[in-house]
Amino acid sequence: MEKKQIESKLVTQSIAESELSIEALKKILVQMDDAEFVEIDISDIRKIHLVYIRTLIDQEKLNESIIKPLTSCSKPSIQDCIVNSSIIPIPTFIEAKKQLFSGSILLFDSSQNLWLAVPLKNPIGRAIESSETETILFGAKDSFSEQVEQNITLIRRRLPIHELKAEKFTVGSLSETSVVLMYIEGLTNPDFVSTVKEKISEINFDLFFDSSQVAAFLEEHQNSIFPQFQQTDRPDVVTYSLELGKITLLVDNTPFALVAPITFFHLFQSPEDYINRWVVASFLRIIRYVSFILSVTLIPFYVALTTHHYQMIPIQTLLVLVDSRSKLPFTPFWEAFIMLIFIEIIKEASLRMPTKTGQTLGVIGGIVIGQAAVEAGFASNVLIVMVGISTIASFLIPNYLMTKANSLIQLMLLIFSSLLGIIGIALGIIAILAHLNSLSSIKQPYFSPVSPFFRKDWIDLFIRGPLVKMMERPEHLKPLKLKRYKTRR
Amino acid sequence: METHQLFKKNETYNGLYAMLLVNRLQMLYFFLIMPSILINPYMIWVLIAVGILSQLNLLLLSKWLLTRLSSNGYNGFVQLFGEKLVRFLSFIGLFFILLKLSVITLGFSEIIQTFMFPSTDTNFLVFFIFLFCCYVASKGVEHTIRFVLISFFCTFWMITFFVFFFFPPIAQLSDLYPLIPMDWKVENWKAFFLILSSYSGPEFLVFLGPWLKTNNKTFRYLSYGNALTVVEYVFLFIASLLYFGSNYLSKSKYPIINMARYFQNPVFERIDMVMLSFELFNLVFAVSLFLLLFYGASKIAFGKMSKPSSGKGLLFSVFLIFIGMVLVNELFWKSWEKQNFLLNLQIIAGSISYFLVPLIIVLVMKKKGVKKHAST
Repeated sequence: MEKKQIESKLVTQSIAESELSIEALKKILVQMDDAEFVEIDISDIRKIHLVYIRTLIDQEKLNESIIKPLTSCSKPSIQDCIVNSSIIPIPTFIEAKKQLFSGSILLFDSSQNLWLAVPLKNPIGRAIESSETETILFGAKDSFSEQVEQNITLIRRRLPIHELKAEKFTVGSLSETSVVLMYIEGLTNPDFVSTVKEKISEINFDLFFDSSQVAAFLEEHQNSIFPQFQQTDRPDVVTYSLELGKITLLVDNTPFALVAPITFFHLFQSPEDYINRWVVASFLRIIRYVSFILSVTLIPFYVALTTHHYQMIPIQTLLVLVDSRSKLPFTPFWEAFIMLIFIEIIKEASLRMPTKTGQTLGVIGGIVIGQAAVEAGFASNVLIVMVGISTIASFLIPNYLMTKANSLIQLMLLIFSSLLGIIGIALGIIAILAHLNSLSSIKQPYFSPVSPFFRKDWIDLFIRGPLVKMMERPEHLKPLKLKRYKTRR
Repeated sequence: METHQLFKKNETYNGLYAMLLVNRLQMLYFFLIMPSILINPYMIWVLIAVGILSQLNLLLLSKWLLTRLSSNGYNGFVQLFGEKLVRFLSFIGLFFILLKLSVITLGFSEIIQTFMFPSTDTNFLVFFIFLFCCYVASKGVEHTIRFVLISFFCTFWMITFFVFFFFPPIAQLSDLYPLIPMDWKVENWKAFFLILSSYSGPEFLVFLGPWLKTNNKTFRYLSYGNALTVVEYVFLFIASLLYFGSNYLSKSKYPIINMARYFQNPVFERIDMVMLSFELFNLVFAVSLFLLLFYGASKIAFGKMSKPSSGKGLLFSVFLIFIGMVLVNELFWKSWEKQNFLLNLQIIAGSISYFLVPLIIVLVMKKKGVKKHAST
């Protein structure tokens, strides 16, 4: 086994060290149907060799930008013939390989023994569409696509300043995925930039096909259910985050950018908060927090009351509850637990099912789980109402990863509530808050501006204050420029 | 459990944290039983007077916190007292912490049992409370101190509910008479020491020097915390006087909670249960901090300072405390007479520790010529 490994290592090493030649390239491109070797006769004595991967390049441009100019050009130098494209000299075999697989065409002028690369990447990809994960009624509709360059363009259009930096890194030994770190120089705290750069340089993995995988390598608390990087496909959200002093990571082949540092409270902010009038936006934000609390505590509260604290329920409500539960074979805990698991199954199925069959799911979910479960005596009417409210409430959180975490918190509190009633719920919430209090996002406290306390940042926390009053950036993000306005001379 | 983080010091906390630490450590179990022991309306003045006395203790405390030695933690104490004496004092301190932990945890568990789970054994409740305290403590001193903010935000608003007792028909001015004592009974001394013991707790801040950002405003913030406590004590005592009247106040073991039982709304009939659950935030915070202090003190007492702090060590000390607490519960707390003895012991121990700890430290500081260093 070891012998084989050593042999394969030696082969790889010999290829890496081999001299750049057509034969060497043919050796590595063997059994690749889309690899092309083309010879163009410029004159009797001069031949240009073209090497490229057909599926990676723009074939229309190949004709227009390379073959036509070369065949019709009488100048001795290739650089003088190809004027519409950038030309990169290739010094080594490794560099040639890299260019080849990133969508460039390798040109070899045998008369001058010169290797050049012309980037002609295939522009295949989605057009700019509206976001499906963070939909809003008002505001910009464009969203990121899988092409990192296009995503950078969307951000640069919104922030046309030279301070907006975009540093490129490559991660993944097999996927060689481009990761672009964006930040505003002179505004973003340099510690954030250096922390992220350090973490990226430490990444040692073969394949990355989504930004969440990159985030997994950058996060400080792997076992937490809370996301420590905000994933968004909205350029306006990224732009606003950059303006606040955060950093952004764009990952090639995924439409989701990573934003950090974030706090728990950022996950409750929607782009529409800054479009609506501040009173309306504040009201909606409060509703979102209330919904979150409802979604995680409503069913555990039901279990706590019906199992341990009947005396808390007013007599009229109690009569309704007793009537509703009188024929049930299960304890409140099992009744709620089974319903929650069913709801999770329906939620997961609705994501996987094709849109056209979605209606079937609605009917099955609504009738079977709702009406039939009550009639069959598996669940009480009251619980069905509560499950409905808590499920709908959980969708008010703008961040989908947070919605997922919601279900786990709910189940945890459900177990505690069955053991210790509302004392159990309180202890569970204490544990969650203690956990949040100890989390960090790129070394910045996750629960600020509540803990640590930043009084001024509360203007954009539970409410969204008037924009004209938000003249300073959040202190907890430690921006180099705190003020958002230009000082008049 | 991230063991290396238990006593790490990455950041220091400003005056706001010192203020809240003082306030929340003073708002533990005793304030819930205080009115039934104070009884007489003129004890309002004693509450205020002891509050002022507490202010003096905080002044001494701030003098220590302003020295460079306090920010050195263990090494600072060694420089002040010498290693042997520090080890001895730590050993003594273990009993003080254990006693305080026992009284606040068992007291609160008994309240939960009385008002919420009459058929549940208090040992079971103590176990669960300790389980969660252990989790909070495992996050380290730094995060536990920060947890005071969460504890404060989750509990401070509850006092506003008692404002309803200040209005007619419940409130009658005659319930607040006599405001001047005609005679001083022996029981009043117990009440006096109970108040002093209730104000105790901030003396544990002497061990948190490395994590507190001190400056000339430190005393001001400590005073704010203490003043807030005075207001809360007086407010709750007056509310209970107005509600029960001094003749009936001694008949109720938990007057504050009994008053809260009358809060109602159309959704819940027993808001006191919700309030008790929220009060857990404060208990868990305080117990977690004391668990860490106990673990730290035991390391010093048994000469294990050279070894790094570990999660296993914390877990072991929590286990020992839990066993100790179950024994205290079975041997003392469950019997009314012996419980009274334990309460009296904590009243004396709390008074002594709050009075002596800052005083001794400042006296030794004077003797050794230690000066404050912070000037900003």
